[in-house]
Amino acid sequence: IPESGHKYYLQFSTEDYRTGEDAGNCLATVLYPKKKSPPVVSIKCSHTKDQKEIQEEDKILYQRIRHQSKPITGNDIPDSYGNIEPALEPVWALAVAGSSSIMWEKSTETLGYFLAQVKSVRQWMRKDDFIEFDYTVLLHELPTQEIISCHMRLTWLPGHPLKVKHFCAPPSHAAEEGSGAESGSAAGPAAAKGAIF
Amino acid sequence: MRLPVLLAALVAVATCTETFVGHQVLRVIPQSHEELHKVQELQHLEHLQLDFWLAPRGLGVPVDIRVPFPSLQAVKAHLEAAGVSYSIMIEDVQALLDEEQREMLRSSRQLPRDTDTFNYEAYHTIDEIYAFLDLLVAENPNLVSKLEIGRSTEDRPLYVLKFSTGGSNRPAVWIDTGIHSREWVTQASGVWFAKKIVQDHANKEGVASILEKMDIFLEIVTNPDGFAFTHSTNRLWRKTRSRHSGSICVGVDPNRNWDAGFGDAGASGNSCSETYHGPYPNSEPEVKSIVDFVKSHGNIKAFISIHSYSQLLLYPYGYTSTPAPDHEELDELAAKAVAALSSLYGTKFEYGSIITTIYRASGSTVDWTYNQGIKYSFTFELRDTGRYGFLLPAKQIVPTAEETWLALKVIMEHARDN
Repeated sequence: IPESGHKYYLQFSTEDYRTGEDAGNCLATVLYPKKKSPPVVSIKCSHTKDQKEIQEEDKILYQRIRHQSKPITGNDIPDSYGNIEPALEPVWALAVAGSSSIMWEKSTETLGYFLAQVKSVRQWMRKDDFIEFDYTVLLHELPTQEIISCHMRLTWLPGHPLKVKHFCAPPSHAAEEGSGAESGSAAGPAAAKGAIF
Repeated sequence: MRLPVLLAALVAVATCTETFVGHQVLRVIPQSHEELHKVQELQHLEHLQLDFWLAPRGLGVPVDIRVPFPSLQAVKAHLEAAGVSYSIMIEDVQALLDEEQREMLRSSRQLPRDTDTFNYEAYHTIDEIYAFLDLLVAENPNLVSKLEIGRSTEDRPLYVLKFSTGGSNRPAVWIDTGIHSREWVTQASGVWFAKKIVQDHANKEGVASILEKMDIFLEIVTNPDGFAFTHSTNRLWRKTRSRHSGSICVGVDPNRNWDAGFGDAGASGNSCSETYHGPYPNSEPEVKSIVDFVKSHGNIKAFISIHSYSQLLLYPYGYTSTPAPDHEELDELAAKAVAALSSLYGTKFEYGSIITTIYRASGSTVDWTYNQGIKYSFTFELRDTGRYGFLLPAKQIVPTAEETWLALKVIMEHARDN
């Protein structure tokens, strides 16, 4: 759109990340303004699952995690051979959801991401009902092909939106992009509550 | 209770934090309440540090006890004094653990014995793949030979398999896999392709007809240094492992190092970047060796370089948006190849020129080979589309190789007939 930016019209289908089942279609428009700023998105999706079904599945996922008596920890999910231990699947599922929020913030008109691997995960036990995890996730960045390491702190309770704080390490040649450190949805590293990095 | 203990024992053994030398596992089957009582007594003697693999449950039911060496005499005396009979199930727990570890290492990292028992459904190390090459040649000396076309930066041999039924410098097809080391499904597929070619030839089907007129060259581990590094240190390593003076970081992207639009937009001049093009074209021995081979062969008709992931079939160009002179024919051929691929498992591939389908990339392999006159120059991006990405589960290796092979055959047949 002359003088304004680039507008994209998208039609796409979605599928369940775990099962590959069809999960509905979406229609969206994305406008990237000429000057650097987040894009303007409008989106409408059809859902194959109803709210109740989704709530049920959330509850089951939540229980699977709560039932563990010790804090969950893990490394390299999937491993080099593409394996995910069944016990760590729920934790991986949360990582997929959480890192999608990181990717949402980081993507631009020319930079996209995939989750390459969960390098490590550690559960923080809380006194309340929320579950909390600390992740190091590796994002595969395109077209640069870089592997970006991000620290992600994720909190969740069914019925509540996922809360994600992240900090991504600048790629080893940060000077090129001139971007330096990026912060998560909350404040930068120093100010994040209970920052461990 | 037992499994975590055994696991802990194994971990301890692996980390050298604990030893079970001389420990024995005794089995007692209490025949009376007195005997049961005697065994239960043992549970309370904490100083003995007994580890009940099977706790006392009742009469006639086995009780298994791991007894540390220092406590052996006391426990045996206790049981014998009460007339409780026991048997020694494990004479030395440490010996068993050592044997188990040896077995684990042996079975997971056994060099293949023949290409029929080779496990195509698993990922392998460079040694295992290099052993496979030799086995394939030994089993099929009239069809397969192994060529060393050069050596990598770390002095690993660069091997190419030649499949030929004779003739002299016949028109040929080149296939390479593993140029980017982290794309493990490609090397694994290459191994499968090699076996498939041999099988087709033996059964006089599939590519047997292509082999009547053409040779096939297959380089499976095109970036051996990178591949070794993905096993030893960093599973997500992409580049070579070269160190050039003036470079802070290690490695050059072998798919940006070719002399086609070298250094243009679509590659990085920063050595720390994953798309670093290198100090000059063909600076990488892994690339130079293929360049030299192609030039000296002079009769290659189709050149296919295999990557993962994204599920794409791409043709030149990547370094310029000017369409390749043969783009219409290549596009049609790509459409046919992709249709053949999909026919097997429904896997969806997109196709088109590199620059319009994936992104601008300069100095890439097939741009160079195309400019050399090799019309049928294609790059594949195999499974998947991002769910597992580089870490594709091993059980997808064979389906991926099978469907890709169908597309390769379409391209090879077209090259043969045109």
